[in-house]
Parts: sequence; C-alpha cells; structure tokens
Amino acid sequence: MSGMTSGMEGTLKAGKADFSVVQKGVSDLSFSKISENRTGEIETLKDVRKATGVLLGYFSVGNNPFFLVWGVEEEDLTTVGIDIVNGSSFSQEDELIIGEAASKELNKKVGDKLILSDKEFNITGVFETSVFLQDKGVALSLKKLQEIQKQEGYVMMIYVELEEGANIAEVCQQIEEKYPDLITIKSASELGKVDKGLELMDAATWAVSFLAIIIGGIGVTNTMMMSVLERTREIGVLRAIGWKRRRILSIILGESILLCLFGILFGALGGMLGANLLTLHPALGGLLEPIYTWEVFLRALITALLVGLVGGLYPTYRATKLSPIEALKYE
Amino acid sequence: MDVIIKTTNLIRTFEEGRVRAVNGVNLNVQKGEFIAIMGSSGSGKSTLLNLIGTLDKPTSGEVIVDNINLSTLKNLDEFRAKKIGFVFQLHNLLPVLTTCGNVEIPMFELGFSNKERTRRAENLLQEVGLGKRLDFMPTKLSGGERQRVAIARALANNPKIILADEPTGNLDSKSGDEIVHLFQELNKQGRTIVMVTHDEEIASHANTIYHMRDGKILRSN
Repeated sequence: MSGMTSGMEGTLKAGKADFSVVQKGVSDLSFSKISENRTGEIETLKDVRKATGVLLGYFSVGNNPFFLVWGVEEEDLTTVGIDIVNGSSFSQEDELIIGEAASKELNKKVGDKLILSDKEFNITGVFETSVFLQDKGVALSLKKLQEIQKQEGYVMMIYVELEEGANIAEVCQQIEEKYPDLITIKSASELGKVDKGLELMDAATWAVSFLAIIIGGIGVTNTMMMSVLERTREIGVLRAIGWKRRRILSIILGESILLCLFGILFGALGGMLGANLLTLHPALGGLLEPIYTWEVFLRALITALLVGLVGGLYPTYRATKLSPIEALKYE
Repeated sequence: MDVIIKTTNLIRTFEEGRVRAVNGVNLNVQKGEFIAIMGSSGSGKSTLLNLIGTLDKPTSGEVIVDNINLSTLKNLDEFRAKKIGFVFQLHNLLPVLTTCGNVEIPMFELGFSNKERTRRAENLLQEVGLGKRLDFMPTKLSGGERQRVAIARALANNPKIILADEPTGNLDSKSGDEIVHLFQELNKQGRTIVMVTHDEEIASHANTIYHMRDGKILRSN
C-alpha cells in the first residue's frame, strides 16, 4: 500500500513542484478536469513562480492496459521532473519521448516508432524521473494528448512551483478561496482529497489485514490446543515429577510465540515474493512498486508476537489447569 | 527405625462419597524399607500411592512424609521434585528427548547448571546400566530399557522415596525381574521404596507386602 501511495505522491508532486492543484470533488484523480486558462491565472498569483498544466492518460500498449501517457508542454518538461537522458525532446506533434523503464520493457529506443490510440509516433528521446510510475510511460505534447483524448482546452492538474521562502500553506489557501472548484494537494496524507480509490483500497487493505490477524489467531489457538491435547500425558508427567505450572506456562506460551515468529518470517518472505511476482504482471507492473520499510516489518513482528501471545493464552490456561493425575490417565 | 511415611485414617472418596477408593488406611513405612502393595484392580492401591505422592488430596485423614504433614504443605511441586521419585507403569518418557535429556527433566526445578545436569544424568544412566545408551531416543530402546530410563529419571534429584506404580506391568518377566533387582539395589543404598503391583513374584522381592481390598489394607506378611 505504501508503494502505491508513494507512486501517487510522486505523480502529484513531480519535479520542482511544491504542490499540485486538481479539481475538487472528483472520486478519482483521472476524472479531474481544469480549464487550461487557470494555469495562467494561478501563475499571476503572488509568490507563484510557475504553474504547469498537465494531462495524463492511460492507453493500452503492448501487454499493459494502463500505459501512462503525459501531455505536457515541451518547455515544462524539467519543471515536472522529466530529464532527457538520451536523444532529444519532442518538437512535432507526432513525436514523443519514452521513460527508461518503458523503453526497456517495450524494447523501443530513439528512432523507433510507437503506436498510441491508432496514431504513430516517432520516439525522439528517452527520459528518466525519480518516480517509478512515470518512468513506465511516455510524454508527448499537451496539445496532441488533448486532441487524442478530446479534452481540448483542459488539463488534469496543475503543478505549482513557488518563489523561495514562500509560505506553501498560505498560497494553497489563497488558491482554494479564489477557485472553490479546485483543491490543492501538498502531501501524501492529503491524497484522499482527490483519490477516493486510494482511500478505499487503504480501508480494504486494513480489513484484509484484520481478517488475516483473526484467522492467524484462531490458527495459533487451534494448533496450540492440539499440541496441548496431544501432550496431555507428557504435561502430567512433568507436573508429577515436580515441574511448576509457571514452567509449563512459559513452555507453551513460548512455543506459541515461536510459531508466530516462524509465521512472520515465512509470511514476510512469501509476501515479498508475491509482491514482486505481481509487478511482473503486465497490467499491474505499471501501477505497483513494492516498497519495504522497516516499519512494515516491525509492525508485522509486533502483531505476530501479540497474536502468538493472545492465541496461546487459552491452550496455556488449559495446560496449566490440568491435574497431574487426570493428565497421566489421558489416553 | 524412623517412620518416613505415615498415613492416619486416610480416606479418599469419589463420586460424591459413593466410591471409597481408600477407606481408612493406616500405614507406617520405615525409612529404608522396601514395601509392596498388592491388590486387584480398583482395590485402591494406586490411589493410595497418589495420596502419598501428593498427586491427589485425601478426603480426610492425614499423610506425613519425612516429618512433613502434607495437608499443611503449600508448595507441592517443590515437595515432589525434591522428596519423591515416581516410576509409572508406562515409562512416560518424552519421545522428543534422548535418554539423557529425559533424565535431566526433573533437575530443571532444582536449578542445576547445564553441565551439572548432563553429568548427573550420565551417572544415573550408568547406575541403571544404560551407560552406552546416553544419546538414544526412547523409541530405539526396549521396554525394560525405557523403564530403566524412567527409574534414572526418578532418581534425578536424589529423592529419599521412590513410588512405583506397577513398574513391571508392561514388561516381560525377564525385564520385570531386572527392574525389581534394580529397586533392590536402590533400597540397599538406603532409599525407601513403595511399589504397587499385582504380581506376586515381583512383590516377593520387597521386605514387606501389604494387601489391599476395597480401599482397606488387609494384612501384611
């Protein structure tokens, strides 16, 4: 999930932009539609150095149904963080530049042709950005993309770059007051303002995690319960030869926690493998970039320990309550 | 001679008093004595053994072991760990541990170091004639050998009293004889042994034989 959020944040705060402006009230970023004139208007505001309108589109290219296409004015490429590393920028409407990752994936280089929405484009350069999502796409002239998407005169969002020392919050407030139909996005935490999809996905992820924890907890309880039942006689022997309840308790709980620690080890490895396998899928590869932070693993570790502890409580209680004489009779 | 086990009017009932498993037993066992308690199934001999070994609590009456009145005793686990060595009909060894590991189990409660535990366990296994089977898993041993490991385990904390509940019940007569001779050896070293059995030949090795029927001790010879 953090990989997805990070990719979105990269798109919303590309290049030198301090924040971005999108249409208010849309359920998904791709539905945002802003009149191109607003770009010029925002640029005249105090403390604003530059405002850059861009249009994004998704096209089916090769195996990828979500191939990202940027529509941006040629002179604004560096503002949105696109650096050409090979060849040159596009100057004609039938030219485009391709992201490094997309170039490798599609095996296209400078001089090759690429078909987008039944139109043929010449590739004039290869670019690189710091955002994985963008590197897997292409960029072409804003006018051309507007024409293809039948969005003449409109952009999807406006990147805003401020003068040095300007107060971001103040400028954002000024824009939102002046244009009630627009909203500003400064950080990933504000993504929910424009992308309900991401919020929904976040909620779904939590729900799935919660279910997994409950199922895991029941699994641990069941496994440990079976283990205690199977070893009832052994527990009886241990109690008969003088082992204290406390020692039995620490063994059963310890085993339960150990079980969860093994679970987290294999779960984490399996999860990483699964996430990486998902990125190999052509449809998802362009949208997903797994990010592994130590917080994720720490959270998983703490959850596993808690599940082990809580899941092991009842079997442990049963084991320590066994009378040695009853346990010894157990068949 | 000192009395090491003394029961006075000992009663243990089950099913709300309808079954009197032990019904007013007065028993004195001298220090260093080897006694056998005989009787048919359900005569109450195992229940009596469990009451002496603090695995069970009497309905009434009292048990005094090594001058300790068990009814006043708070820490029964510690008492069992230090004073009593149990040998059951089934060896009850932990299948995941080696013979040495099994013998070490009772020593955990007395806080021996790892090294000390292993050394003691090895000595005990040698004493019961299994010096060459230290690293064997219980499944690789014969029935008699397993019971000998169980006896070594009972001796782990050097208890004064060994309580054995049908220790030869699952063994052939040759292995049974070996086990009872082992008990005789331990008795010669000064340990008090209380053995429950229904095998007269096995019981004949004891100094004193008691018979139980319907929860009462009938006679001794």
